[in-house]
Amino acid sequence: MSSSTAPLSAPLAARAGWWSRLAGSPTLRFIVRRLLLAIPVLFGVTFLSFVVMNSLPGDAAQELLGAQATPSEIHQLRAQLGLDKPFLTRYWDWLHGVITGHLGHSLSSGQSVGSILVSDLPVTFELVAFAFLFSLALAVPVALACARKPNGVADRLSMMFSMAGLSVAPYVLALVLVYVFAVKLNVLPAIGWVPPGQGLWQNIRHLILPAVSIGLGLLCFYTRLLRADLLEQMQGEDYVVTARAKGVRPWRVLTHHALRNSLFGLITVVALNLGTLLGFTVVIEDIFGIPGIGHELLQAIDNRDVPVIEGIVFVFAVIVVLANLAADVLYSILDPRIRYGRPTE
Amino acid sequence: MADLPSDLVVAGVAPAADEAAAAKVEGRWRSSLGVIVPAVMVAFIFGVCFIWPLIGPVPSPTGGTILDSNLPAFSPGHFLGTDAVGNDEWSRLLYGGRSSLEIALAVQAIGIVVGGLIGAIAGYMGGWRDSTIMRLLDVLIAFPGLVLAVAIAQGLGPSKLNTIWALCFFSVPATARIARAATLRVREQTFMVAARLSGTSFPRMLVGHIAPNILPQLLTYALLGMGIIMILEGALSFVGLGVPPPAPSWGNMIAQGQSTLSAQPRFVFLPSAALFITVVSFNLLGEGLRSRWSGQ
Repeated sequence: MSSSTAPLSAPLAARAGWWSRLAGSPTLRFIVRRLLLAIPVLFGVTFLSFVVMNSLPGDAAQELLGAQATPSEIHQLRAQLGLDKPFLTRYWDWLHGVITGHLGHSLSSGQSVGSILVSDLPVTFELVAFAFLFSLALAVPVALACARKPNGVADRLSMMFSMAGLSVAPYVLALVLVYVFAVKLNVLPAIGWVPPGQGLWQNIRHLILPAVSIGLGLLCFYTRLLRADLLEQMQGEDYVVTARAKGVRPWRVLTHHALRNSLFGLITVVALNLGTLLGFTVVIEDIFGIPGIGHELLQAIDNRDVPVIEGIVFVFAVIVVLANLAADVLYSILDPRIRYGRPTE
Repeated sequence: MADLPSDLVVAGVAPAADEAAAAKVEGRWRSSLGVIVPAVMVAFIFGVCFIWPLIGPVPSPTGGTILDSNLPAFSPGHFLGTDAVGNDEWSRLLYGGRSSLEIALAVQAIGIVVGGLIGAIAGYMGGWRDSTIMRLLDVLIAFPGLVLAVAIAQGLGPSKLNTIWALCFFSVPATARIARAATLRVREQTFMVAARLSGTSFPRMLVGHIAPNILPQLLTYALLGMGIIMILEGALSFVGLGVPPPAPSWGNMIAQGQSTLSAQPRFVFLPSAALFITVVSFNLLGEGLRSRWSGQ
């Protein structure tokens, strides 16, 4: 009989071992701790935005009815929208909704906030993804060329160019690009947006200028960062010395040995950048008339549409918190020398 | 640059002595050039924006007559021409730069004082006070800053002062983080321990011991941040806030020029060029100073 139970218990034992390994894994414990710490941050962010919107003069009822509305009309609409309830009650109701998966309805259009997010977020994500793609696709080869010959002609030129690129405001770049490519050369559309469903090529054509406007600053930032990291790897690390001593060609050491290690650092910075990037999409979407989340946010602030603002701020904050967490976790997985779990100071 | 301790120099990697000395002299010369050139540029920009209107014959940046509108560059009396309502463009650039620089300076000054204080207290005290302060800053950093700025500027009404308040939500948390990290580095050094053992009071520690050690770093980062704040000021103008027209700032000049981009691109390009040159100067200065600090 024992022979027949053995195959049964073996997977069980294996599973138990897998489970205890997982539970005891410092990375997992680190992730759980960070997720728990993220809860008060999200709480604070949403509460703060509630306070800010609440302290603004005027509310949605007033914005909806306009200046001619009588006080009794405003009073009635406020009661209808639930704006007459005490401040903390409204926040509690909203919070309760989030936990049960309802982000509420827009005060001005009546649309559910969830559906607004579902229709606008992909647009912004596509823009951000293109910006990242543009910047990373160029940053890696340029940084490699720089690190190949530090202080060479290519290195100096690209360092000068990247310093200039870092100093250009994204909206200035957007206007210059529109002037050159849309007004003068007339090869790309100046404003507007075509959903990918209505023609992928048109969709991409409309995205090029906004994505480059956001991406150029990132490109310059990543190039400088990656170059510095590559140089550090090439100068100080034992594995580089080993590879060289084996007779691996310098270019191959750079692309196959140093780049692999430097990319880890870059990935974490990319994740950390996401928050700042979301802020700048607001202005770029405004200039190019792209119906993304930033555009929606500006409109919602104008209308004092608190549920929409809260929903967008909540999603932004979740993205920022998760991106920061992903950066830390990636770093700890990719570089096992880094030990988390206990503050070092 | 401090000399490397001899035990750190790996045999065979260290260059010959005279070669090293020559490289050091050249490096020092070059690194000081990397600070002096942008510093002169920054001083020049400040001089042009703040002193020229006092001594040179500059017409008022607002209240021009519509009869003089859209004059081309090099018109008599209007060196860079006039804008759509007849204001002198050169004068608007000077006064616009003034207000952009004033805003950025005020924001960074508040950032250093408030953020530096918060960061130094968090770093020095440690423990639960540190974690509480850092969590609160996390909230501010996770909060989409532009939303807060837009909301504040809308609630208080667009004005120069309110723009400064709104932009402080960027500078204070960022400076506080840097101040905390810098404070953690100096906290356990011998002179700090000695000061603590001799019973120095906390405010005195802060002013006499922590501040002088973290200020150089904070100032360097503040210079690098000047450019970002000037760019953000313009971003606020784009969403209809920031410095309210007709008073000029580089940001609102660019935002206003957007509507006549195809017919009169100079209304975008002139303030954009001024903004770009200024931000480059600040970035080069900050970068030069930072590489000097990190080299030590």
